[in-house]
Amino acid sequence: MRILIADDDPLSLRLLERTLERVGYEVTAVKNGRRAAEEMCQPEGPRLALLDWVMPELDGPAVCRQIRKDRGGHHVHIILITSKDSKQDIVCGLESGADDYLVKPFDPEELKARLRTGQRILQLEDNLVEAREQMHYKATHDPLTSLLNRGMIVDLLVRELIRARREKTCTVVILGDVDHFKAVNDTYGHPVGDEVLRELSRRLLGSVRSYDFVGRYGGEEFLVVLNNCNPANAMSRAEQIRQAVGQTPVTTAKGPLPITMSLGVLASLGGEPKLVDEILSDVDHALYEAKGAGRNCCRQAGAPVLTR
Amino acid sequence: MNSFSALAEFLNLPELLDRVEGDEDLLRELLALFQEDLPASREALQAAIAGGDLGEIERAAHRLKGMLANLSAGGAASFAAEIESAARVGNAPKIPGLVQLFDPQIIALSAALDSFMASA
Repeated sequence: MRILIADDDPLSLRLLERTLERVGYEVTAVKNGRRAAEEMCQPEGPRLALLDWVMPELDGPAVCRQIRKDRGGHHVHIILITSKDSKQDIVCGLESGADDYLVKPFDPEELKARLRTGQRILQLEDNLVEAREQMHYKATHDPLTSLLNRGMIVDLLVRELIRARREKTCTVVILGDVDHFKAVNDTYGHPVGDEVLRELSRRLLGSVRSYDFVGRYGGEEFLVVLNNCNPANAMSRAEQIRQAVGQTPVTTAKGPLPITMSLGVLASLGGEPKLVDEILSDVDHALYEAKGAGRNCCRQAGAPVLTR
Repeated sequence: MNSFSALAEFLNLPELLDRVEGDEDLLRELLALFQEDLPASREALQAAIAGGDLGEIERAAHRLKGMLANLSAGGAASFAAEIESAARVGNAPKIPGLVQLFDPQIIALSAALDSFMASA
């Protein structure tokens, strides 16, 4: 664990440094408050700090205030070290944003125990942040395929359309539906159907650029958003995706299965775009035409949509 | 505390060895740091007294007090603390007398450290 120590007294600084290194801390030692504030206020700066109260340039409480101002988003555990021990001093130190204080000369065991308290609080915060991130992931991704879920892919499409309008670029929207998927489930069972969906998700992700979006739109429907795309290439990009999906049979527990996909394609040009619901409705209609044309093919919705 | 026993008159060695967790190399390093810093710290105090600047006297005495306390040099540390507090409350007339008591302690400690390091 990284820790910053700041003290203008060279003895105290070295003593702290050695005491902390001995128990495995990665120590940054500085001799004044300004340097302490600089180190601590970096976004990836240490999250534990031991600050002497009396220091040149910036004193300990001033460093505390600076840290609280600049790194408000995350907890940084700050212990003030002081030979001041009046109640008024202690209250002033804590009010400036310190979490704890230690009177010097300090006892090494007390110092370590107080730092462990700080680490417990930091660990608690890490756990909460991780739990929040997991919940966010679950709220935005499909559990079977790990693709973006319907809510998230539509949100991203809306954002992308706004950006495309601002930058006068073209967004290509592709809605793909697995051909005869019900037959796969009915013939081989749902676990095999799930295997097919997972493998198709991998193939879809492998056939787009890293900054394009792929989401599971419905049961066996996938929505692909190609950002900043040349409208003249919309059909050829869709064709590449169709081939990537259907070129080789999908390996399943019940053997290799030939799987294909029909795709509706829509190129939305910058300028005043259609409402997202209309775009989704139009691309769904194009998909319906692809199904009607015999499946395993792509159909484009009208001419590229300009403005309305 | 064997090799350090020559310093027992000035420093509370059991307490000091606890503070460095028995690390004698670290203790030698701290003593050397003190010796290195002492002339400038004393000069700062003397200059502040000569200039009659109570704020500077308080800061200089505070710094000396901190170093001496870390070395468990109880006697000298308590005189430094008294100088600091006299300066803080504005009791300037008390300060020269305290310095007269403080200086010999510091000089004796520094001499003991010199001979300790020469022998080590």
